Amino acid sequence: MPGLSLEMPTHTAIVDDYDVVRRVIAGEINAFGVLVRKYQGHVLSVVGNHIPYNQAEEVAHDVFVKAYQSLLTFKFKGGFKQWLSAIAVRTCYDFWRKEYRSRETPMSCYSEEEQNIVKRALATQCMQATFQENSRKEASELLNKALDRLSPEDRMVLELVYLEALSIKEAAGLLGWSIANVKIRLFRSRKKLRKILKDFLED
Amino acid sequence: MRDYIKLENSLIKAYREKEKPQGSEQLEMSVMQHIRSLGALSFKTSPFELFGQFGWRFAPAVCVVIALLTFWIVKLDFVPEDELAKFSIEQPIEANYVEIPGL
Repeated sequence: MPGLSLEMPTHTAIVDDYDVVRRVIAGEINAFGVLVRKYQGHVLSVVGNHIPYNQAEEVAHDVFVKAYQSLLTFKFKGGFKQWLSAIAVRTCYDFWRKEYRSRETPMSCYSEEEQNIVKRALATQCMQATFQENSRKEASELLNKALDRLSPEDRMVLELVYLEALSIKEAAGLLGWSIANVKIRLFRSRKKLRKILKDFLED
Repeated sequence: MRDYIKLENSLIKAYREKEKPQGSEQLEMSVMQHIRSLGALSFKTSPFELFGQFGWRFAPAVCVVIALLTFWIVKLDFVPEDELAKFSIEQPIEANYVEIPGL
């Protein structure tokens, strides 16, 4: 599973994290640096999956600040890593909600750039080979353009379950939604993405 | 359809292999700087937060109390309209618009 690994950390790692969290809650602010150092790679990996490369670090920063501010609500039951992952995913979701709200015009028609990307992708007989060899960046760009047409909710659920191959239960836990909600969203968003990609192909 | 499946698979692959930023000391420094500016965590919570955390736990008890009170009022045989009519018949001079509402 790329980026968002949810495998259980070892008991020692959990206990170490608990100890650091207790120290931070007790007022030892600098102890939080241990958690930042330990989990910045993980947070950047989670955030990097959902947020454009150039904004990922800024969002990762927000994740750690939110984690610090919510530390008093940490239950000392599950692992700190899972708790932090949920904060990271929800921060990404908030990022897309803000982006969606600040979007001035709905993108109803395809830009010339988008059409060129699809044309280039379809120009060779074996698209997969093309993407692998020299156009992976373009494929990623095309996917982002397709995802940009979805609502933040659809985007997040699709990325987590369909693209990152997390289970519905895991995605529901990370987003703080019910399993039924994730299932319904996933069904609708896959349908929407299929339509968008088919439109790309037909244009 | 074949084109679509190929395109979809390529996009999934591209998504999974996309470049991700690496951790840096700069990120750690900026986070810690921000956190230090926030200060130590405090347990002080606003009344609204307290209600959010604890208030809802009393909801079932409040529902039961409301149900019991409703039952008691129904059983009480108290009809405001009847009482008002009775009052105005018994004391027609005093029963004016000021006294009826209890002003």
